[in-house]
Amino acid sequence: MPYLGCEETVKELKRALSNPNIQADRLRYRSYITRVIRSMTQGLDVSALFMDMVKASATVDVVQKKLVYLYMCTYASHKPDLALLAINTLRKDCADPNPMVRGLALRNMCNFRMPGITEYIQQPILTGLRDKASYVRRVAVLGCAKMHSLRPSTEIDPSIVNELYALLRDPDPVVMVNCLRALEEILREEGGVVINKPIAHHLLNRLKDLDSWAQSEVLIFLMRYRPRGDDELFDVLSLLDEFLQSVHTPVMAATLRLFLRLAAAHPAVQADALLRARGPLLAACGSASRELRFAGLCHVQQVLRSQPALYSGQYKRFFCGYSEPGYIKLRKMEILVELVNDENVVLVLEELKSYCTDVSPELAQAAIAAIGHIGRTYTEKCLDILTGLLALQQEHVTSAVIRTFRDLVWFCPQSIGAVCRAVEVCGENPQDTEGKQALLWLLGMHGEQISSAPYVLEGFIDGIKAELSSAVKTELLTAALKLFLCRPAETQDMLGRLLHYCIDEESDMCVRDRALLYYRLLQCGVDEARKILLGPESDPSMTVLAGRPEEPVGCWASGFNTLGPLAGADAHPDAPPADSSAQHCHSTEEEVVSKPPCQACPESAGAAEGPRNTGDSQEEPGLTLGPPLSHEAFERLWVELRVLHRQTLGFPPPAAPPETLQAVLQLVKVQALAFSRCEARPWKAYVCARAGSTLVLAELLHGDPAVPDSQDALLLSVKQRPENLQAIRGFVSVLHNALQTLSSDRT
Amino acid sequence: MIGGLFIYNHKGEVLISRVYRDDIGRNAVDAFRVNVIHARQQVRSPVTNIARTSFFHVKRSNIWLAAVTKQNVNAAMVFEFLYKMCDVMTAYFGKISEENIKNNFVLIYELLDEILDFGYPQNSETGALKTFITQQGIKSQPQTKEEQSQITSQVTGQIGWRREGIKYRRNELFLDVLESVNLLMSPQGQVLSAHVSGRVVMKSYLSGMPECKFGMNDKIVIDKQGKAGASDEAGKSSGKQSIAIDDCTFHQCVRLSKFDSERSISFIPPDGEYELMRYRTTKDIILPFRVIPLVREVGRTKLEVKVVIKSNFKPSLLAQKIEVRIPTPLNTSGVQVICMKGKAKYKASENAIVWKIKRMAGMKESQISAEIELLPTNDKKKWARPPISMNFEVPFAPSGLKVRYLKVFESKLNYSDHDVIKWVRYIGRSGIYETRC
Repeated sequence: MPYLGCEETVKELKRALSNPNIQADRLRYRSYITRVIRSMTQGLDVSALFMDMVKASATVDVVQKKLVYLYMCTYASHKPDLALLAINTLRKDCADPNPMVRGLALRNMCNFRMPGITEYIQQPILTGLRDKASYVRRVAVLGCAKMHSLRPSTEIDPSIVNELYALLRDPDPVVMVNCLRALEEILREEGGVVINKPIAHHLLNRLKDLDSWAQSEVLIFLMRYRPRGDDELFDVLSLLDEFLQSVHTPVMAATLRLFLRLAAAHPAVQADALLRARGPLLAACGSASRELRFAGLCHVQQVLRSQPALYSGQYKRFFCGYSEPGYIKLRKMEILVELVNDENVVLVLEELKSYCTDVSPELAQAAIAAIGHIGRTYTEKCLDILTGLLALQQEHVTSAVIRTFRDLVWFCPQSIGAVCRAVEVCGENPQDTEGKQALLWLLGMHGEQISSAPYVLEGFIDGIKAELSSAVKTELLTAALKLFLCRPAETQDMLGRLLHYCIDEESDMCVRDRALLYYRLLQCGVDEARKILLGPESDPSMTVLAGRPEEPVGCWASGFNTLGPLAGADAHPDAPPADSSAQHCHSTEEEVVSKPPCQACPESAGAAEGPRNTGDSQEEPGLTLGPPLSHEAFERLWVELRVLHRQTLGFPPPAAPPETLQAVLQLVKVQALAFSRCEARPWKAYVCARAGSTLVLAELLHGDPAVPDSQDALLLSVKQRPENLQAIRGFVSVLHNALQTLSSDRT
Repeated sequence: MIGGLFIYNHKGEVLISRVYRDDIGRNAVDAFRVNVIHARQQVRSPVTNIARTSFFHVKRSNIWLAAVTKQNVNAAMVFEFLYKMCDVMTAYFGKISEENIKNNFVLIYELLDEILDFGYPQNSETGALKTFITQQGIKSQPQTKEEQSQITSQVTGQIGWRREGIKYRRNELFLDVLESVNLLMSPQGQVLSAHVSGRVVMKSYLSGMPECKFGMNDKIVIDKQGKAGASDEAGKSSGKQSIAIDDCTFHQCVRLSKFDSERSISFIPPDGEYELMRYRTTKDIILPFRVIPLVREVGRTKLEVKVVIKSNFKPSLLAQKIEVRIPTPLNTSGVQVICMKGKAKYKASENAIVWKIKRMAGMKESQISAEIELLPTNDKKKWARPPISMNFEVPFAPSGLKVRYLKVFESKLNYSDHDVIKWVRYIGRSGIYETRC
């Protein structure tokens, strides 16, 4: 209910507009019309004045006309019958000698939202398409799109489509781009505007005349075009070359995207394009406006996914300024982590350390997490910094450090000692749920080495009544039991109290059930409990999985320069990702996994038919590389599938360095996803290959105490989708031969 | 493609709302207000997704401009569009403020109508737009024949940024080199990062369709000339300093192909004010000021701060509007300041000592010392020590950029390069100029 006197105002305006004295005085008349528009923006319903406004539209005054048209566009849908009266004036204006009036009338007529309008606007639009003023043509071209959107279900008029295709050759650049836009909307059902060779070359040649908006849109349209042969491809690329250094970030980014797409088969060209786009991208990252800076950073992150070394020399550009907004700082930290190498690690860590005391807890914690991430490679330096941070005795810092410790210990077993000492002297306990869980996990897992562990745990057990989070309680139960297993004398009493409380008084079912489970487990005997509860202390092979290798450019190129990179995985935890590209990206990966890679390797199609048709032919489907599998996809599949085949290979793992191993496997068309270091025990490796239409995943395991078979020879476990035993047989023999050759090389 | 554009005031009231596409519903206006403007926490990202609709926003003073779209668009482009929109509005009615927007809302609707049609950007050059916009009394009469023909030539001409038939009695050119120097320095005086982002802004009042050529001391050009020219000329040019430009971008009027091949900047200028180029340098930057901080904690309740600033440029030049901002802890109870030059004041609301000096010549130094008394707190938190930041304005280009020549050629009209009056000005301002303490 916006305004009380609203009816009064409308009446007053109506009186004024119909007053012949005012109508005679042009300026006064116009000022009343302005008042009508003002009331309209304020949310007042002034549709009652429609009749008077239609009258006002019959004028030579362009200003007045514009105002009235604005009014009519807003209310035409409310008063379709009255709006028809205005149509006549508008159609008359479409024949005005002034091109501006013609354009204006045509545009506003197309903007009317009411049923049956199409029959009135069709003719003026067709005339407008052939108008001699390009201003009118621009409007008319988009008018076609508007007309289509008014009645999307009607059949497409082929004559209009042809006319629009012909107008692509219009001398005015905006008309040309508008044609593309209009055709794209009209032909959406049929897959949008068709870019064939003549059109593509025409667009490429005209690109220079366009303004930056048009350029970036045309570049996106050009993505549809596939040059025939390398000669044409390189012609196109050299035409595009200058836009890679364009003034405008969007144009540059769009060109880069097009480059990556066109040169998909030429990795060297792609790398070169990325190198040359580095300057402009860095410029965007240092741009004066923070929004562009943010967009630039997000795109650098994408490039880093496949070329981490490209920007490592420029790491100082990604240091945060004090006054920058949080979203930029977070992105910069993420980038810094990627850029770390032997030369800059000291400076980068120094810089990140100074962010740890940021006023915003969120940023401080992100900085600590970033240091932890670097710690997976440069463990000692980071441990020193993290331990130093504990001395700050700030709650959010301590909590983040403890969480980082937990992750670090899991990845790098060599840090266990230092972490335990640090936790020992840490005076303050974290107060948030996440931090508490991390601390409890550390106490339970490495309680032997933390002498104060029972006292800390006792503190938690005494305060359990005040604890709200059930996750913390469950973690506490596990920690207490684990500690009991290694230090029974100190812990027995408190474990008893804890179990008693959890079983008798706890209302949360999960916690209670867990307590009951442990209680009964203890009844079975300590040894049984130990067997079940104590798992491995760390998993060094995870480091290899976690250390992200360079992804091929194709993984992210399709989402480059769209909303995808900006949205990020964690940018909007609560909002659903609205951009289709991110989902699209995801789905293509699914496709790669679930579908046979038909286009990538033509012979695989034949192989897929093979076993079915020829029944028991002994021909084994050969291994093919196909598009590489991402680590996430591999992990997902590995968890999903069951082991189909298991055998020992009869020799120890090859002692060759991982690079050699990877190269050898590449040779036999097996993709290696992750290896442990040579001397690590247990030694693990994950590989996969495509055999015919199936995907084979395999794990190699050696020297895991939990699996007796793997003690003195390699144990191979194979999973597959879809199942095809013949393919497995082929895969195993190939792998066996390759690894045996490597092992025998050594001896 | 932009589905709609909204302008809000700081309270989240809608000042302007223009929807171009049907897929943007009426509730979109409120969705942005509720989720972003009225959200308690800090802005998490300039792009917000609400119910499968993307909102791009920028803020100018306390006005929010938001563009809305349902499609997967190029984000950088939408932001550039919003900046352009701001520029156009500023060109028409000055500062973007609530009052100005309310007073000019008809004009804004008119602008929005011309700039975007059906959500597609059409025309955003201020100069070219002026022909279509009728508000502000620019054109309140029905148009004359001449003006009509102008529109036609405007919209059919190949050169979108300049109309034909411009005439001036006096041909003048104003060239401003505007630079902002950014610095992050460690307490020990080590430069952590420094860059200059500069702009060359021109105001041209030239008749006809002139062809201009702009030259500066770009290292690549100077080196090339040095090699090509005679040895004595090479000696001369090496005496002048040249600068290495990391990256630069140009106004659309500059012929990029010529720049790529010969590194020469030639163009047909738009009429009036425009930004010819934007560039960045990171090497050999002249840092106009050095800040040397000294912070000593005396016991738990007292801090002694001494800050020395040294000006590092020719003594004949004067820096202006110098402001040093020394942050103080939150629990500050009182501050005593002694400074030899300028005025210093403790501003409790900003948690900082602000030291202002009107003018300062080159190669001078000045210092301030302050005693800060702290309230004893049982808060164990250490003070994070934000960096000391500085603002200033100097009459030279910190990147070392020099304009070597600016030539004007107009073949059809009879005025030559000598008849054009040219003005060149250098202004170096501080961007983010911070020294950690």
